[in-house]
Amino acid sequence: MNDSPHFLKNRRDFIKSSIPASAALASLLNGDSTQAAAEDKLLSQAQHFAPKAKRIILLMQGGAPSHVDLLDWKPGLYDMYGQNLPDSVRNGQRLTTMTANQKELPMLPAIKKFESYGKCGRMMSPLLRHTGEIADDICVINSMHTEAINHAPGVTFQLTGAQIPGRPSLGAWLSYGLGSSSENLPAFVVMTSRDRENSCGQLFFDYYWGSGFIPSKHQGVQFRGTGDPVMYLSNPKGVSRDMRRSVLDDLKAMNEIKHEEVGDPEIQTRISQYEMAFRMQMSVPELTDITTEPQHILDMYGPDVERKGSFARNCLIARRLAERGTRCIQLMHAGWDQHNNLPTQLEIQCRDTDQPSAALVRDLKQRGMLEDTLVIWGGEFGRTPFGQGDIKNVKKHGRDHHGRCFSIWMAGAGVKPGIQYGKTDDHAFNVAENPVHVHDFQATILHLLGIDHEKLTYRFQGRRFRLTDVHGHVVKDILA
Amino acid sequence: MKTDSEILDQNIQQALAGELSATERAALKQLLAVDPAAMDRYLEFCEMEAWLSAPAAENENVVIEMPTAEMSPTHSSSILKWAGLAAAIAMGLGVAFWIGKKEAPSNSPQIAETEPQSPIKKQPTASKPNTEKVIPIYAQSLKHPAGKGKLQGGVPDGELVEKIPETISFNRHVRGILSENCFHCHGPDANKRKAELRLDEREAAVDSLSPGNSATSELVARLFSDDADELMPPPESNRHLTQGQREILKRWIEQGAKYEGHWAYEPPARTSNIELPTPNIRRENAIDFFVKLRLDEEALGFSEEADRRTLIRRLSLDLIGLPPTVAELDAFLTDESADAYEKVVDRLMASPHYGERMVLPWLDAARYADSNGFQGDGDRHQYIWRDWVVNAMNSNMPFDQFTVEQIAGDLFPNPTQDQLIATGFNRNHVINGEGGAIAEEQRNNTVFDRVDTTATTFLGLTLACAQCHDHKYDALSQVDYYRFFAYFNQLPESGKVDRRLGRVMVGNPAIDIATDEQLVHRKALDKTISASKKAIRDNQTAIDVEVTKWWKSLPKDKVPEKLKPVIGREFATFDGYNQGYAREGYLRSSSNPEWKKWQRDLDQSTKGRDALMKQMKVVMVMGELEGDKKRKTHLFLRGDYESHGEEVQPGVPEALHNLPSDAPANRMALAKWLVSEENPLTSRVIVNRYWQHYFGIGLVKTSEDFGVQGEQPSHPELLDWLAVEFRESGWNVKHMHKLIVMSRTYRQSSNVPSEMLDRDPENRLLSRATRFRLPSMLLRDQALQLSGLLKDEVGGAPVYPYQPEGLWHEFSYEKFKYTPDHGDKLYRRSLYTFWRRTIGPPNIFDAANRQVCMVKPSRTNTPLHALTTLNDPTYVEAARVWAEKMAKTGDAEKGIRDAFLKATGREILDNELAILKRTLTKARDNFGSNEAAAKELLTVGEMKADGAIDAAELASFAQVAQLILNLDEVLNRE
Repeated sequence: MNDSPHFLKNRRDFIKSSIPASAALASLLNGDSTQAAAEDKLLSQAQHFAPKAKRIILLMQGGAPSHVDLLDWKPGLYDMYGQNLPDSVRNGQRLTTMTANQKELPMLPAIKKFESYGKCGRMMSPLLRHTGEIADDICVINSMHTEAINHAPGVTFQLTGAQIPGRPSLGAWLSYGLGSSSENLPAFVVMTSRDRENSCGQLFFDYYWGSGFIPSKHQGVQFRGTGDPVMYLSNPKGVSRDMRRSVLDDLKAMNEIKHEEVGDPEIQTRISQYEMAFRMQMSVPELTDITTEPQHILDMYGPDVERKGSFARNCLIARRLAERGTRCIQLMHAGWDQHNNLPTQLEIQCRDTDQPSAALVRDLKQRGMLEDTLVIWGGEFGRTPFGQGDIKNVKKHGRDHHGRCFSIWMAGAGVKPGIQYGKTDDHAFNVAENPVHVHDFQATILHLLGIDHEKLTYRFQGRRFRLTDVHGHVVKDILA
Repeated sequence: MKTDSEILDQNIQQALAGELSATERAALKQLLAVDPAAMDRYLEFCEMEAWLSAPAAENENVVIEMPTAEMSPTHSSSILKWAGLAAAIAMGLGVAFWIGKKEAPSNSPQIAETEPQSPIKKQPTASKPNTEKVIPIYAQSLKHPAGKGKLQGGVPDGELVEKIPETISFNRHVRGILSENCFHCHGPDANKRKAELRLDEREAAVDSLSPGNSATSELVARLFSDDADELMPPPESNRHLTQGQREILKRWIEQGAKYEGHWAYEPPARTSNIELPTPNIRRENAIDFFVKLRLDEEALGFSEEADRRTLIRRLSLDLIGLPPTVAELDAFLTDESADAYEKVVDRLMASPHYGERMVLPWLDAARYADSNGFQGDGDRHQYIWRDWVVNAMNSNMPFDQFTVEQIAGDLFPNPTQDQLIATGFNRNHVINGEGGAIAEEQRNNTVFDRVDTTATTFLGLTLACAQCHDHKYDALSQVDYYRFFAYFNQLPESGKVDRRLGRVMVGNPAIDIATDEQLVHRKALDKTISASKKAIRDNQTAIDVEVTKWWKSLPKDKVPEKLKPVIGREFATFDGYNQGYAREGYLRSSSNPEWKKWQRDLDQSTKGRDALMKQMKVVMVMGELEGDKKRKTHLFLRGDYESHGEEVQPGVPEALHNLPSDAPANRMALAKWLVSEENPLTSRVIVNRYWQHYFGIGLVKTSEDFGVQGEQPSHPELLDWLAVEFRESGWNVKHMHKLIVMSRTYRQSSNVPSEMLDRDPENRLLSRATRFRLPSMLLRDQALQLSGLLKDEVGGAPVYPYQPEGLWHEFSYEKFKYTPDHGDKLYRRSLYTFWRRTIGPPNIFDAANRQVCMVKPSRTNTPLHALTTLNDPTYVEAARVWAEKMAKTGDAEKGIRDAFLKATGREILDNELAILKRTLTKARDNFGSNEAAAKELLTVGEMKADGAIDAAELASFAQVAQLILNLDEVLNRE
């Protein structure tokens, strides 16, 4: 048996294990390793197949960026300028109450003509010129579609698989399914930012990173841009780290006496959680302190990186989190809801987000981390190819919500780089080819992380719930 | 198929990697203890590992074979572990069987007959196979879902693992297997049914079953088939039957394949005719009778009774949500009367804080919040409904009345204001104020939410599953869903915000709430207003002559701003608005005292009325469209509100009992039906949640689902007995709570003997009391109480205690600013903390999200919780204020002893005292040399520190207080 490959593989496995045998023996015979830790370990191996991605960074562009102006090139729209959207194209599709009563639905081409980027010759708006520089690293999907028509339900759908709040979010599923790979940091971290002009009325709801009905330890931990990066992280004023350590030592001693008496294993878990809290008090400030970053790295992310709570700063922190083993990093940026200020705000939004998004991909790549990190950029839906308001008014017009098609990009682990997938019709209104529904998108993300979306389930109210509900197909064509 | 020795190897590896659960480890330990060969193998692995993990230099000549083909290293190791995991499952099951037989006469572990892969099979088996009565045990050995080999969490599939019983019962043994594995394609949902085969009804299934003859049974053939194309369930379904489950189905068919109705749809009945013993005379009551039956089966007994110190703290936290005071503790300890315990129970149940505690789970079910949720997220005044519930609970309103008033209080002939407020239950839903939201879509979402909330809260039914299609498991059709929906579809509501009063944004129907005094006052004001207006109107001609004169005499540079547009015009040509304004202006300065008085009365009364209206509140309530305004209800195809199917009339699910023939077609009929004598669900569902309140887990673990996919009750006879008792007591809520807390079962110690930790980690057998962490709301209340800061007045508007700065601001694009309260409002119970639905209170963790109905508490244990109770200013302030009391004793040891007693209810042990004294000494060393730090600490929170006490001393005691507040014993209810 010693000669069989099977046996050798076992031994290989042992090399990876850092637990000294004597400790392992003691652990088994005394039964003193905590149940929770054992469970976490069991979980992290429960992948269904080889994962390409070890972690994921979601750059959620809340408010819905205009696919027409940024990623879905339709030169034909220039000839259609001002013409009404044909009924044959609209095909009875409902509109929000903001444009449902608008008499005309005048076609509105991209604000700026697209240009060709990268060796692949990807057509993209020059407003995203930094993203253009990484065109050969990303996969642009033009055929995303969703059922939602308003922001909160749309974001909720994108992140939890249902429009009504209350289901576990993608990150919570990943934390539950894969566990944490860091001893000192949470498995799922969320950061928020918004446009400086406050032009976009989107709120951030905690159910965007909630755990729904799965245990709440899997919900995203929000890192904040002001005050403590994690709520209640700092010791009270006047209490030094040494003082706190000393109190925790004694607390531990007291809890151990209690454990002797009552035998509840939760006490051991509690002791270890207090220890992790103590470690987080060091690891989180260290993580969010970017003063150790060299100037050329800061420059990559752009000047906004100096501003706490900015999207650029969050992108840099996302990279630092990825390096430290956080499984799911979700950046929520709000700023794209350009109903009546498209001509002015779109460019500003691009300026604030384009450079840091591209920098993150480049930074991961130069560190060899893009191979196993999945980066996704996109909103909850797209925007109408027709104008909202008076499109002749040079400054004040925009586009309404549009779920029938929209564009996102993905980069990194397991995704074919430099390709474009799916097509919309000539009006950029409907998907014409290779539709990717939100549930397909979610199934694909799980697949890249080594999980079969049909098998990652949680039983609640008598039903096995999944992120993808009862739908979803992995988009195999984009897999490398 | 792997050999036993391979499986053993894998299990050992997993053990070494710390990957086995406690039970699995225990099983392995047992095996190693009895099987020397296995022990040798184990030690071999240990040595191997030590050798491999030694410094690399020593292993230079080890050749490691790389994995074959294109497999990545991650891939190969994950496959390896995967296989190991499967073995672990087998092992876990083996353990479960083994434990199930532990009480049998033999001394050695038995062979697990149904699990041929189990390494335990290797053990020497001296005794004969056990043929005695098979006792089901809870297969909690694999606590985590991943232990089942798939990422399938929540309530594990098939809680009960049994050896194949002699006589198969459909409900106990078969239904769960069919439901989980077959009904998805061969169940009630006609649209998804495959091969036209239906297995949930005997008549439809009988041909494929061939009852009495398993040899000719198509079902049996399919279950045992080696052909992947034939095998059921199909491999690609991710569903898999164990050998034992197949055998159960086979035996069931051999025994005639009898079906039974789902237990929860049958009316509860008292199965044992027992008299309820008088609690203060007998040590046990009816509950204990049933619990004991089960314990006897397991050859277990009750744990000893908890000591009085533990009991009073447990009772107090369970019934009023606050720990006992030292005086209350002393009174109980010295009370030698036979009914001392009962007196405590009665005192607590009569406390006004009883309702404050008991309301908490109801608020979670009713998705109560103080704001709308979604964008806009306006505030609301539903706290008036919350106070109604607290009062109803305190006054022990019978549960049937409690139900009817909340579901249909508006449909009483002349509903009182309270009855209208009660209906706020179904108006606690979210409202989407987002620009562009389609109102009709939002309105329908609201109705969906009411259906879900009502069905889950009262019936424990997952009716929501039938919104888009017939229910996959329960006999609930999509038509049933929309008939239920129809009851809630008749509100005169728009689906959007209709009324705005500043930050408050509510949807109709809503009522203004006022005290009697306010109503009298408003009436008086209205009377004055209309009298003044009438007097002015009656004399308008005369007045206007004078107004004209006044207007002409008015210096044009002194004309009031609002009259500037009409400068140069005749009074008669003013528009109505300017005329009215000019008239008022004249009257205020008129020389006619009577006229002047009319205007003054009008002004004052109008102003008074405005102020009064601002004090009054607006509560969203239920209402009903009448006559031709009634909406038609259609079935929505695929649940889409725009795709109408057939029209339906209001009604209740067909699988349950009928409405009386004369029932009106409105919510009142539904409300009465919920609490009618025939209703099999409501009483069971509610008493089950009461049980959950005291034992952490209900008798039915899936307290949110009593359908066929829900768990079977652990003590079915007890559940039914309680359900009948509840109804027959006149739905007497306090009676039920008292019955539970008086039971011996409740009074047991919560200490866990180590063998029970493995055997019954969740305490489903009830051989002890359950120990669990307090809800975070109560942790905060407790800290306030212990420090003496708590302001325990009951009821009223929400308050704004401390919260990290900028939190709301950040979430809400600077739309909401959180302004903390000052003074007493900082120290109210957590129940009263303002609950913004989009950003819940940050220091209340592990709470229901208050977005949708939740009836099962979540209890997790994370570092973020530790950070909260260590660093949230609420807790820090409580600790430093509490420290004043400790410091003032003048005797450090006494200070510590008193504080410890207050927090835990017990005297501190010597070794514990030594630790806390050490804490104090170290803190004194720390702050003694750094007074500035001490002073800084004393500024946390608003309460001024006692200047008479040395700052360093206070800060030092505060460290001890913080430690006590974070003791596991204090965080838990034992």
